[in-house]
Amino acid sequence: ENSPAPLPERAIYGFALFLGSWFGFMLYLIWAYVPETWLFSLGLTYWPQKYWAVALPAYLLVAVGIGYILLFGINMMSTAPLNSTHTITDNYAKKQQQKKFQEEAIPALRDIPISEVNRMFFLPEK
Amino acid sequence: MEERRYRSASGAPIALRRRQHSASCRELAVRCPRLQLRSLSAVTSAVWLVAYGLFVLSENSMVLSAAIFITLIGLIIYLHFVKIDQESLLVIGSLGIQVTSSYASGKESTTFIEMGQVKDVVINEAVHMQKVIYYLCILLQDPGDPQGVSEVVPLFQSSKPRLDCLIEVYRSCQEILQQRKTAPQ
Repeated sequence: ENSPAPLPERAIYGFALFLGSWFGFMLYLIWAYVPETWLFSLGLTYWPQKYWAVALPAYLLVAVGIGYILLFGINMMSTAPLNSTHTITDNYAKKQQQKKFQEEAIPALRDIPISEVNRMFFLPEK
Repeated sequence: MEERRYRSASGAPIALRRRQHSASCRELAVRCPRLQLRSLSAVTSAVWLVAYGLFVLSENSMVLSAAIFITLIGLIIYLHFVKIDQESLLVIGSLGIQVTSSYASGKESTTFIEMGQVKDVVINEAVHMQKVIYYLCILLQDPGDPQGVSEVVPLFQSSKPRLDCLIEVYRSCQEILQQRKTAPQ
């Protein structure tokens, strides 16, 4: 149903986006380079200041650079500290129900408590 | 009493000393590497070079005295509040667990956790500063829920021993903690 195969509608969307982005780019170049007097003589007096033709790309690039650092910082902030219980368990593990043990059946999936895991890994002598 | 050498998570040499005071009382102490003379001289030279550069630029001799002052005060603060010399764990079977940190200036800070609050001592893995490290921690019991953990107390935070040292400490602690289950209440 939701396959990524090409469809006629998708071809039309793609072409519309292609034309739209070329048109937008040409408009941006005209706005940035054509002198103001020529634009006034055509009647286009209420376009934004040309200052923004340089300022917006500069803002965008700085935002992308800051975004790298911001993402790194957000990741570091959301890492649980060493003294938090989130390193041991979470809501799903606390509320899990114990299924009954059935003979000859694969045991149900569950979160094993950390004490049990430690005893299994570290107590047996080599 | 025995002492064995291990490595910390960053590769520095540390030493673990185990003492058995009685059948239900054990003390485990991890000694961190001492302050190295070469790192101390490197930091001092760097600070004094920067101060000399500022003095050459600004022609103000107060910069040099300030740099000497800052270096001395910084060293004292570092030795008294930051540089940990030894971290020890004293496990007394029926009483509790005492965690002591001794700083390089001689200051000791102690925390005692009584045995009723201790659920277990486990080796946990967690993400810490772009690395995954093993660390020993005490799980405190949640008074309302017998299966729940109310708090996690990480141990050996500044010496950060590697897994082989942690396994030794873990086994020693578990021998004592298991006695309280078999002993009559």
